[in-house]
Amino acid sequence: MSEPRVDRITARAKGIASFIRKAGTLVQPKNRAKYSEPLAQIQDQIGARIITFYKSDVQRLDEIVTKYFTPIEFRDRVPDSEWEFGYFGRHYVLLLPTDVIDETMDRAKIPDFFELQVKTLFQHAWSEADHDLGYKPDSDSKPLSKDEKRKLAYTSAQAWGADEMFDELFRSKMFAVGSSQE
Amino acid sequence: MSVRHIHTFLVHPGKGSATPASIVGTQVPLTGGMFNLLDGIYAKSDTECDVDIAFVPTADGKQTNACRDLILAYLAKPDLVKAQAIASRLAGHTDGRSGLGLLFLIVGKEGREHKIVLSRFPTDSAIYVDENPKALTVEFLERVFMKNKTSYKAVVYQHASLKAGFCAGRAVDKQLNSLLGEPSNYWISDFLLSDFRTTPAMGTRRLAVAIRDAVKKSALPIKQELTAAGTLAGGLAGQHLSIADFAMRMGLSKEARDAIIGELNSPALAQEIFRFDAGTFRSLVAYKAVELNNGAMLMADSERFDDVFQKEAVEGVRDQVKFTTEGVIVDEKLRTAR
Repeated sequence: MSEPRVDRITARAKGIASFIRKAGTLVQPKNRAKYSEPLAQIQDQIGARIITFYKSDVQRLDEIVTKYFTPIEFRDRVPDSEWEFGYFGRHYVLLLPTDVIDETMDRAKIPDFFELQVKTLFQHAWSEADHDLGYKPDSDSKPLSKDEKRKLAYTSAQAWGADEMFDELFRSKMFAVGSSQE
Repeated sequence: MSVRHIHTFLVHPGKGSATPASIVGTQVPLTGGMFNLLDGIYAKSDTECDVDIAFVPTADGKQTNACRDLILAYLAKPDLVKAQAIASRLAGHTDGRSGLGLLFLIVGKEGREHKIVLSRFPTDSAIYVDENPKALTVEFLERVFMKNKTSYKAVVYQHASLKAGFCAGRAVDKQLNSLLGEPSNYWISDFLLSDFRTTPAMGTRRLAVAIRDAVKKSALPIKQELTAAGTLAGGLAGQHLSIADFAMRMGLSKEARDAIIGELNSPALAQEIFRFDAGTFRSLVAYKAVELNNGAMLMADSERFDDVFQKEAVEGVRDQVKFTTEGVIVDEKLRTAR
């Protein structure tokens, strides 16, 4: 948290209901189970998230994350096509550092990994609202209509645009400050 | 009996070779003197292999690793063909400086968990002596493979899941800090396609914060030991060591060592090996400060403190010291109370 322009850092253990739901995921063809060993294969049983102000900060924080933690996977989650708008965020699967493991704990029951997400304020705001509206597991909620999906994509595009503008303003201000100091 | 399968291969260095030597191997029976030796290696691997490592992802971040894939394939079906694929990989990442090696792949089961030890014996020459009351026979032996050589390598992996486990293991590599001969990291970084589990920044930060916090809480003699160690730490730049190693190399007393380890979340963290990063250490232990009973507070860069301030004992007055320094004033500050 001593790093500049970090809005918040949160962490959570995956809820049991959420884990069971994910463990029961079926894939096509043949509606087969996605996870044959969910306790080993589901790598976000522990999740952490860093929310930062600007897109430029995501790269800065990436250098810090990879400096201190050991990744087994990292990727920018973006829509499949540049014509689409949806979820944006940088995701890592990192080895759980031994510093957080108490020696009284049963190591066999502790996950090997945790998932870290680094997002801007706008990316986070969109993903939280989208998660609430678009993926509610409640059996009473009906699937989104085409127009509703387009509205979600529209809001993602707005959030993306706001991120671009804020980042441009931030960088031009930083450049101006840098120039005046020379 | 834990060990279920053992395969062995004579591995010629083949890195960069257009016509690598063929790799010949065989299965080792699970009885006899050879088995007893290898069973011992398998059993002791948990303590002998003391460097925590992890397979690295691809350059674009995918959770795929060529060496891990070979090891998992072998564990799923431990046969000569799959074992040979691992031996071939080793040959392709071994150059002439490492020489001929004898590779053992030892597979076992520990309860629900699969365990595999890869053990590489380097080649050496030896003299065999046969003595009887009437004669002495000496014979020169080539291709003798010895475990106690500095260039012995091994790695152990253990996990219950062949689908999602085996991302991390423990290796032994006595050449980590070697300045001569082969690049010691060919075993970990090239063949195993791995890196240290504890990054230089993480390990060094852990050490620096433990020293800094131990200094705050310790009695004056221990404080002085720890600050002295802090000023000398810069000489360890690039060295692979654990916090326990650091205490030993600095010649710290048991009390000072215990003070550092007491600041860690668990004593086991003192055994994790990492590459010492001088920059990280300096950023966290930047300044050394000495307070005198006359109210003076002397502060300087921790690595240069003893150069900036000259210290001498005051004759005739017990424990009294005199510090001397000279320079041009560039700044003055008012500080808040402690």
